[in-house]
Amino acid sequence: MSQAPVVFDGVWKKFLRGERHDSLRDLVPALVRRALGRAKPAPELSESEFWAVRDVSFEVQRGEALGIIGPNGAGKSTTLKLLNRILKPTRGRCEIKGRVGALIEVAAGFHPDLTGRENIFLQGAILHMKRREVSAKFDQIVEFAGLQEFIETPVKRYSSGMNARLGFSIAAHLEPDVLLIDEVLSVGDMGFQQKCIDRMGDFKKQGATIVFVSHNLQAVAGLCDRALYLHGGVRALGPAREVIEQYVRAVDRPRSTTAGAVEIVRSELLDEHGWPTATAPSGARLILRVTYQAHAAVEDLLLGFLVYRSTDHLEVYDANFGSEELRIASLRKGDEIVVDFHFRAHLTRGQYHLGCHVFDTRTQEYTDRVVPTGILTVEESRTFSGVADLQVAPVIRETAATAGDPSEAALEHAR
Amino acid sequence: MAEARALIAEQIEYRELLLQMTRRDLLLRYKQTIMGFGWAVFMPLINTIIFSVVFTRVAPIETGLPYPIYAFSGLLAWNFMASSLRFAVVSLTGNANLVTKIYFPREVFPFSAVLVALVDSAIASLVLVALMAWYGVGLSWTVALLPVVVLVHVTLTAALALLLALGNLFYRDVKYLFEIVLSVAMFATSVVYPVDQIGGTLGRILSLNPVTTIIDAYRSVLLRGTLPPAGPFLATAVISALLLVTAWALFHRGELAFAENI
Repeated sequence: MSQAPVVFDGVWKKFLRGERHDSLRDLVPALVRRALGRAKPAPELSESEFWAVRDVSFEVQRGEALGIIGPNGAGKSTTLKLLNRILKPTRGRCEIKGRVGALIEVAAGFHPDLTGRENIFLQGAILHMKRREVSAKFDQIVEFAGLQEFIETPVKRYSSGMNARLGFSIAAHLEPDVLLIDEVLSVGDMGFQQKCIDRMGDFKKQGATIVFVSHNLQAVAGLCDRALYLHGGVRALGPAREVIEQYVRAVDRPRSTTAGAVEIVRSELLDEHGWPTATAPSGARLILRVTYQAHAAVEDLLLGFLVYRSTDHLEVYDANFGSEELRIASLRKGDEIVVDFHFRAHLTRGQYHLGCHVFDTRTQEYTDRVVPTGILTVEESRTFSGVADLQVAPVIRETAATAGDPSEAALEHAR
Repeated sequence: MAEARALIAEQIEYRELLLQMTRRDLLLRYKQTIMGFGWAVFMPLINTIIFSVVFTRVAPIETGLPYPIYAFSGLLAWNFMASSLRFAVVSLTGNANLVTKIYFPREVFPFSAVLVALVDSAIASLVLVALMAWYGVGLSWTVALLPVVVLVHVTLTAALALLLALGNLFYRDVKYLFEIVLSVAMFATSVVYPVDQIGGTLGRILSLNPVTTIIDAYRSVLLRGTLPPAGPFLATAVISALLLVTAWALFHRGELAFAENI
């Protein structure tokens, strides 16, 4: 027996593809067939069924956060529902020890005709909080949601953001042993989102076990120690950054959006010596070598080069280079040109998508756009978080040594 | 047995949710309607007036009690059951967003439907007290047995509430079937006239109806000052208890399949 608070052991979950017979009209013939013994023995997986979760196993220890990532339909939410005892596994075992808090559809229990205050007590009870507990935390809940003025207003008059903020705030004041989170960060404004992330960090520090399902890989990387990459079955399970890297590389294959007059036929990421590369230390000189082919005569092209962070699509760099800088006034049909974009990877550790495009200024259209054309992993260990490696170099300029050992004072100053 | 204990323990653990859900439904009615709890009194009162006209003027019948009291007491008990079940049958399907999203014991829904109806009936029973005073119907010591009759009635109602909520989740036909059965069943029960007066085999069959036994038991202990017939009443109590255990077990077995079948 494992002592882990969350155990998922060889779990399989089957779903129906279509509609189940929903009325007696369908049930009666089925029962008659069964009674007459004409029903065929049911195969394990009939044609109309599919495995939403296939043989998934993991454990999460106390105080540990596990991120679950994967494309849509990979079984992430199903996994969370299995953990939350809303669904029952077809096969396998899934167990949670202790009080479970779920940040899933945080406003599900709200009734539009009740006031904010009434809904706090109702939702609190649904989340299995004692009335005393809700009363004691009532002011904190309202303040966290920032709804002091509107607490006596029926929830139907709330904006969707207010609704979600109140829902999250109630759930955030549970004191769970195990916290299940599903994409709640998409609610509220930026300030509130940050509050949510901080709150989840607090839970973790207090020793709660967290299972976090999200498409926001940056948030997963920030909160989780380990990550599970799901796609029906388990694709990868391990340290969060490694699993995220694997996921990003698997999912983001180059996509060409339009192929017009000028097509991007090839692109390569090279190191400064011209060798193909995918990882580089921060500040490394790199080259993106792109081959363009003209299918028709064109003039006044803009060649774009862009970089964004893979985990959250944060734009890091996006620039266009005109024909003057590149000294290509026009291309004739059949011309092929190769352009080297030299750049320096002043980036913090993480993964970055590189992309390129061709813009025709006369038609005001992209003739081709390939994103991502390459994925760059930057290795560096100084920064804690962030995106740009500003290469900060702290230097002590003065030490006001009045007495004692000057080196001690210097140390004090540096702090 | 251990499972049954766990079921009840969970229900006790979530008792605040049951109360909050009941409170929600009562609060909503109070907020959404002008009459509020007046509706709880209004419905049985109107029916009592209608049936009083029919059964005292058009086709007078002998009930051994002033007819309005006979009818109102019957309608009060019947309405408790009918409105419990009417709320219960859609209680799971109407809360689909909760059923598919958040874990808690699902029994809360049908049970709170029963509790809401119980509160309504308690309010409407004030009218019965007024009628008793008006017609000079006094209480006797048998009123001490009233809680026992209520308990049996609530047990039977809760069992049916679980079954209907469960059935309607899997087959929406249940709701429509239930409406038809309900409107017929009132006249197959001693609500506004004693069914044994139908006579013959049909009368004998209808008087086996446990709901008739319960409604007549109310009249016995409250209005007539007599004990209900021991045999049928005990049988009804045992049947109700067994039905509740069975219904609860079925409901619990179905519970984990709710989210994917709703």
